[in-house]
Amino acid sequence: MKSFEWTNPTTINEAIKLLNVPAADIDEAPRPLAGGQDLLTTMKDYTSRPARIVNLKNIRGLNRITLNARGLTIGALVTLTELEEHAGVRKNFPGLAEAAHSIATPQIRNLGTVGGNLCQRPRCWYFRLEEVNCLKKGGSECYAATGENKYNAIIGGGPSWIVHPSDLAPMLVALGARVDVTGSGGKRTIPLDKFFTLPTENIRRENVLKNDEIITEIFVPASTLASHSTYLKFKERESLDFALASVAAAVQLAADKTVRAARIVLGGVAPIPWRVPAAENFLAGKSLSADVLAEAGKLALAEAKPLEKNAYKVPLTQTLVRRALAKAAAV
Amino acid sequence: MKSDQEEQKPSKHDPSRRKFLKGVGIAGAGAAIADHIWTEAEAKEEQTPSTVSGETKVVLDINGAKRSVQVEPRTTLLNAMRNHLEPAVTGPKLVCDMGTCGACTVLLDGKPAYSCLVLAVDAANKKITTVEGLGTPDKPNAVQAAFVEHDALMCGFCTPGFVTTISAYLKKNPNPSLDEVREACKGNFCRCGTYPRVFEAALAAAKASQA
Amino acid sequence: MPQQAQPSPSPKPKKKIRVPRVVNGVEQMVEIEVDADSGPGWGPNDKHRLLNQRITRVDGPLKAAGAARYTYDYRLPGMLHGRILRCPHGHARVTKIDTAAASKIPGVKAIIQAPLTELRFAGAPVAAVAATTPEIAGDALRAIKVTYEVLPHVVHAQEAVKPSAPKVVAEENNLQEKGKNGDPAKVEAAFATADEIVEAEYTSPRIHHACLETHGMVVDYRGGDTATIYASTQGTFTIPEDAAKELGLQQSAVTSSVEHMGGGFGSKFGIGVEGMFACRLSKETKAPVKMMLTRYDEFVMAGNRSAAWQKLKAGVKKDGTIVAVQARQYRLGGLGQGSQAGQPYIYSMGEFYREIYALHTNEDSAIAMRAPGHPQASFAVESLVDELAYKIKMDPVEFRKKNLRDPVYQRQLDRGAREIGWSRRNAIAGAGSGPLKRGFGCGVGIWGGGGNNQCKVALTISRDGSVVVAVGTQDLGTGTRTYMRAIVAEEFGLGIKDVKEQIGNSKLGGANPSGGSTTAPSLSPSVKDAAVKTRLLMAERVAPLLGNAKPEEVVFAVGKVSANGKSLSWREACAALPAAGVTGNGEWRSDLQSRGVHGVCFAEVEVDVETGHVKPIKMVHVQDGGLPLNRLTFESQINGGMIQSLGMALWEGRVMDAQLGMQLNPGFGDYKLPGTLEMPEMVPIIDDDDKREAVIGIAEGCNIPAVGALANAVFNACGVRVRDLPITPDKILMGLMNSSTSRAE
Repeated sequence: MKSFEWTNPTTINEAIKLLNVPAADIDEAPRPLAGGQDLLTTMKDYTSRPARIVNLKNIRGLNRITLNARGLTIGALVTLTELEEHAGVRKNFPGLAEAAHSIATPQIRNLGTVGGNLCQRPRCWYFRLEEVNCLKKGGSECYAATGENKYNAIIGGGPSWIVHPSDLAPMLVALGARVDVTGSGGKRTIPLDKFFTLPTENIRRENVLKNDEIITEIFVPASTLASHSTYLKFKERESLDFALASVAAAVQLAADKTVRAARIVLGGVAPIPWRVPAAENFLAGKSLSADVLAEAGKLALAEAKPLEKNAYKVPLTQTLVRRALAKAAAV
Repeated sequence: MKSDQEEQKPSKHDPSRRKFLKGVGIAGAGAAIADHIWTEAEAKEEQTPSTVSGETKVVLDINGAKRSVQVEPRTTLLNAMRNHLEPAVTGPKLVCDMGTCGACTVLLDGKPAYSCLVLAVDAANKKITTVEGLGTPDKPNAVQAAFVEHDALMCGFCTPGFVTTISAYLKKNPNPSLDEVREACKGNFCRCGTYPRVFEAALAAAKASQA
Repeated sequence: MPQQAQPSPSPKPKKKIRVPRVVNGVEQMVEIEVDADSGPGWGPNDKHRLLNQRITRVDGPLKAAGAARYTYDYRLPGMLHGRILRCPHGHARVTKIDTAAASKIPGVKAIIQAPLTELRFAGAPVAAVAATTPEIAGDALRAIKVTYEVLPHVVHAQEAVKPSAPKVVAEENNLQEKGKNGDPAKVEAAFATADEIVEAEYTSPRIHHACLETHGMVVDYRGGDTATIYASTQGTFTIPEDAAKELGLQQSAVTSSVEHMGGGFGSKFGIGVEGMFACRLSKETKAPVKMMLTRYDEFVMAGNRSAAWQKLKAGVKKDGTIVAVQARQYRLGGLGQGSQAGQPYIYSMGEFYREIYALHTNEDSAIAMRAPGHPQASFAVESLVDELAYKIKMDPVEFRKKNLRDPVYQRQLDRGAREIGWSRRNAIAGAGSGPLKRGFGCGVGIWGGGGNNQCKVALTISRDGSVVVAVGTQDLGTGTRTYMRAIVAEEFGLGIKDVKEQIGNSKLGGANPSGGSTTAPSLSPSVKDAAVKTRLLMAERVAPLLGNAKPEEVVFAVGKVSANGKSLSWREACAALPAAGVTGNGEWRSDLQSRGVHGVCFAEVEVDVETGHVKPIKMVHVQDGGLPLNRLTFESQINGGMIQSLGMALWEGRVMDAQLGMQLNPGFGDYKLPGTLEMPEMVPIIDDDDKREAVIGIAEGCNIPAVGALANAVFNACGVRVRDLPITPDKILMGLMNSSTSRAE
């Protein structure tokens, strides 16, 4: 870890001032620290080399979960453990509690925050190796494109083939969440499906945050969909792993058990949480028979263009889509 | 959906709790550690420094003792305990240094955390418990005793992490199932192959604590 | 680590005894010579008071409380922290190193260069620094400017074998023949008589030891005439000689110490490159230097189990007789030779012909790892045997029994089959409806596990009643301390707590390095010998208080020393000893140990054929090992073997990038050790039908058969034969897709 200056603002404005410092390289700019469970690992492997760390944990009011008729408001500093154990979240947003629970290990969830989970950096091993100057670090090549790409993207890739590592992100996108962001340009509210960016939009980052912007809270609207949501994560190693593929699904059924509305967002297969409207639209008005589920799975992966070593993700994700829809409908 | 949902209590990260301690709690804190009279200067050190570059003095509350240590901001809590505290606290082990093995697990305000993924400057206001704070070779806690009884350790390098994680978990869930034990310590890894006996020990410790 | 050679005979008078030996996988009784004055043996395995019982380990309380001191825990006054700069290229020559900027960093005390300038693998050490903190040492590494001439590299075996591939060593071929055995013409003729032929390639990747305590040591040298090395090692006595050379001291002036160490598994012998740097940095700075590898270092420069690539072909008759086998085996040891047992491993397969090659790549040298060369060979042959059994529609257990003539395997296979519930197995692989499919598989293994004569044990009983058994050996977590005490306590009728042990120091009596399951069979006879001798020495001293009893008639039991109807308490008896107490020196006795262990493993798995997920359900391992010194730790060893095999079968493996020439998963995030949620129900079974009254090492033996058992269980569950480890979901899904495609065609 490179040495840095440690700062402890107590207000958002102070934090933004501390972050708003130009740097020779984006990876040397000041970074906000919440739980630090991802940031510190990127600093240890020198993927990020911030000259200053801005500790957010002394800023008041960013660590509350509020639930009312409108929906759920989650402070950016709420820990993943707090989110997964919150009775109201478990009851009314079961998929969100499942997504939180699926993350890493109890130790990481005790410190890792919701804001941090959305902002974590990719896990691609080329990206994480200090010696490799890949496209995302300002280099000229995505080594995964023709290299060991078993874990990489099958949808939306190019020129970088990372997958977004967040488990909360697919679920929150499925539930129509939005984030409040504050920076030197003021405060803005961003629908979460507009928050994440493809490599074609910004090769060095995975979201629209500017260097001096921080997430302050996340709002998830209350809905019948939300209370019939689920998150299925498939890991190579159950104990501790990122998703080979995951599916966030929510299904609202009519009285006759046909689908009134559905949300399907794929994780672990694309550089951003990947919503699949074609599959969602196909389901409208249909009963969730085995054939319908299978067709939804196929439609959800219709855009997939696997690399040399990750074609398995197509049938895997199709399975997860089928299972997630069936489970969400049964919630 | 119900509209009268509760508002979650502020978490322990809430600085207001610490403000309270700072403002009102010096006397209380002094009383808690009985024989130590706090000076103004020490009270100041207790607070999180606002801006630090280069080495700084941090007061860590480890296993019930306030101990000051000189570290850089980049020094992890794990390295502060092992390389800077005098005498060192070496129960938590440095194994992966990336939050992927659990051998460095400590309790921060009672909750398991990887001390390799916490900066020492960021741990200054937390109650830190390491495996040494749970029991001693002569007076082990129930989990430590069960680890010995059930041979839940071999080389022993992962053991402090497992013991710490499980001890905290049994406080949260005193009567766990086997699957709950597995889930609770899935962030701890062993290479010698002690897992089956770690599970046995955890369940036996739960039983022993109930009795 | 390879088996140690048997000791040369000592000049003492001899007597002949019959002991078991394993020849070509078959156990036979052979006559050997032992010292004529050998004391009593262990006696029947079921007649022990402390041995062959369940004794909790004596260092358990220290370890469970975090109070056990490991190498990594040492911190000495004025100690510096060392770090190593790694080469980022698969093959390169260092043309210039500029350390000016690095040496100006406050806290940096020394920078030294590696002796080699041609670096043949990514991760090869280039330089090392010593600084006041590990963080500053890290800064210094990154401030060293190295200019490399980058050379062509090759890291994948399938590329390295091509004549056009870059050469790992300029003057040598990447492919080197290591031996041809058997008669190819006879094999061809035998194939013509076979009813079925199976021909397949099996590959397994490099496996990392992944010791939780990385390699390293603390060199306590301050410029004087002596030094102490605190090393994380499997061999206390493998340290001083090399350390002394680096420090420019006499070997006798260097003491090595290993109180507790965090795992070795075959990887920790000698001072290693990290020790060389630590000594040189300490010599230069005249300060203690702690050099522990980082986890990344550990993956790329601390050695590994060699990868394997095996092309096998076998023919079988319908009655289950294997008539011939042909093998082309590539040992993939990187710069090293690698290790792979010759096929057909422990099976009798009629005619055989094999060619063995070492195939070099630009990777660090493979080294010994728990049962070197065996798991790779076992996985391939157990898969092959399974494929043959399915071809002729014969039960795989029956098929094995037919082709393994050793009666030990017959009984162990029956026992294991009963414990796992083999009768529940699907006769047809992949049968059954629904996505979750259960399957069963088995495998068998063999190891030597005999001892050698290096252990010199001193047992001292003092006038205050204290009993100390001392030898320089090391306890890797196997329970060495505990059985040392148990042997002595049993001999003297004392309790475990009445005996103390001193180990892990090169100033104590000599001991062998712990490799190849040799520690228990080397050490326990010496401890027993010391106990027997000291007992006689003490008996002579107390005999006058017991009616001048003959020393050999004095009884030591339940804390009392008795003869002729008279009885003394332990304290009273010890008070009769001379001021210095009595000390017996134990030497190795070959009749107290043996070699040749057998193990079988059965596995039950559940495969989700829609995701490729393999869930281990249950594993049973039956292991013999002569006299189990401690049933508790014996079982723990079996569990450990099963779990390490489980990792190799399903998750672990180094991944190398062809273009960059470097390892992509040098950490515990991407190199996936099994964790708590991966564990099946585990049933370790000690084969008590083994009546040998001799100690045999078992650590390697129980780390062999499970890989094949798991691979075979996966096939039985889902019908996909994965011949390339690890068996991950992608391979199962692609296998299922390919088989459904080929069916459709």
